[in-house]
Amino acid sequence: MFQNSGLSLDQAPPISVVLRFFLAGSLWGIAAGAWLLLQGPSALNPAAPQGLILTHLLTLGVMLSFMLGALFQMLPVLAGIALKDPVTLAIRSQWPILFGTLLLLCAFGSGSAVLYFLAALLLGMGLLPVAWRMLQRLYRLRDHSASSRGMGFALYNLLLLVLLGFWMVALLGGWTFRGDLLALRQVHLGLGLLGWIALLIVSVSFQVIEMFYVTPPYPKSYARCLPSLVTGLLTLEFVAVLNLPAMQPWIESLAALLVGIHALLTLRRLSQRQRPLADATVWFWRIGMGTLATAMLLWIVGDFTTLSIAWSETLYTLYAAFALSVVFAMAYKIVPFLTWFHLNAQGYFNAPMMHEVIHPRYAIRHLSIHLTTLFTALFAAWTTPELWHLTGALLLFSFAWIALAIYRAWHRYLEVQASGEKFEFPSMT
Amino acid sequence: MQISNYMTHEHRACDAVFAEAEKAAAAGDWAEAEKKFLEFSNDTLTHFKKEEEELFPAFEAKTGSSEGPTQVMRFEHEQVRGLIGKMAEAVEKQDRDAYLSLAESMMILLQQHNMKEEQMLYAMCDRVLPPEEKSTLIDEMEKVEL
Repeated sequence: MFQNSGLSLDQAPPISVVLRFFLAGSLWGIAAGAWLLLQGPSALNPAAPQGLILTHLLTLGVMLSFMLGALFQMLPVLAGIALKDPVTLAIRSQWPILFGTLLLLCAFGSGSAVLYFLAALLLGMGLLPVAWRMLQRLYRLRDHSASSRGMGFALYNLLLLVLLGFWMVALLGGWTFRGDLLALRQVHLGLGLLGWIALLIVSVSFQVIEMFYVTPPYPKSYARCLPSLVTGLLTLEFVAVLNLPAMQPWIESLAALLVGIHALLTLRRLSQRQRPLADATVWFWRIGMGTLATAMLLWIVGDFTTLSIAWSETLYTLYAAFALSVVFAMAYKIVPFLTWFHLNAQGYFNAPMMHEVIHPRYAIRHLSIHLTTLFTALFAAWTTPELWHLTGALLLFSFAWIALAIYRAWHRYLEVQASGEKFEFPSMT
Repeated sequence: MQISNYMTHEHRACDAVFAEAEKAAAAGDWAEAEKKFLEFSNDTLTHFKKEEEELFPAFEAKTGSSEGPTQVMRFEHEQVRGLIGKMAEAVEKQDRDAYLSLAESMMILLQQHNMKEEQMLYAMCDRVLPPEEKSTLIDEMEKVEL
């Protein structure tokens, strides 16, 4: 019966599954910082290989890693879906994605058709099976929440995004001449930034904001409809690009407007929270939602006019600040909690408390690094382009900071397992 | 009334008292913190008792399974009970940092537990139990005391 209904209340996947993705995401972030440090303003040119490399370091490298790790952790909790053999599934997706991303970056740099082909092959091998399996399980689910439904739509957009990526690779590699690369690029951006990254964060926020910070819930019908509306619009955009290009900016703007409204609504929810302490994670969420709302406004303007370089760089910066702020907010909750939770569930008397794994002061210091990075980037966009080098150094420092926190948590976990005294729970089965 | 509505309402009420206790502890008002923490513990433990003595057995009788979801929920209740004990110690020692740290763990543990119940278990209970049995069950749960 439980199998048929999709109900599975198994415990969370092993901690290594989540931490391996989070650590990989942090290392990609260090690489992105190093790239910006070396390249400076040229890494901000979206048409140049340097710009493509920075964007994909942040999206395929950082965001995909953190989001896959979060999905492995949250699917059992938010949707009751325990993926079978998560360790093997994680390894089988992580390594091909890692090498596929590396090859894609090299392909952007060299323009080599062979590298494009190999990158697409590896990324497909890593991404498609895991996304398909998650989507399939979500599709079969009988009792959906707004979050689980939204996750399903985000994964659908990811699959569409990957398929579109293959098409673009085929154009870049010279295997096909069908399709306008610039128009496809616009849909690729919409699907990736709005349909996948923003929508997954929106879906998670439906539950996480209310539950972690004790806020009033999002309106039910709003939470039920938003992911399908955004996805519907982005799918429509795909069709419009091929048949009715004049409609594209209107459709995309509507999707951006919906995401922007959600950011404002979340800011309102955070101001109504009953939990009194404004720890670093609350501020990361606030910065994330503030920058998302502003980024969406600029996105809409950019759909109808050509943004100046400074405004384009501002949009890029604000969107990146949104995505990274939420990643940090989630990581500072999830990593210490999982370390405590798994050790406690295994019966270790000396399981460290959350503050002993990562102290709130450590996260507050990261918040100041993060804000400095954001303001330096905005200054670089508007005043001194050379400041992009400094922004790169700060980004590198920011990710090194969180990588160290994740590494220490993992080290602490192994240390307790090796030396801790354990209480044996009666068998669960 | 649906099982989901009744039980979810209790979850939210516990969250609100929990937040008040945390607010008092953060401000160093230990008398208020102790009062609110006691209220939170009593409400939470009564809620668990309702589930373990009324709701879960009814669900198990209907589905013919005493393993699986209800077993996991009982296990998680034990984890929460353990954490309540540690938080009570922190209140007694008026140890702000320990209390806030434990409160953070408690909040996430409890919320992920609540999510599983609200998204799946209660929905299943509402589906498998006939309406008259549900209202009798809610009446019985109303009578449960710690």
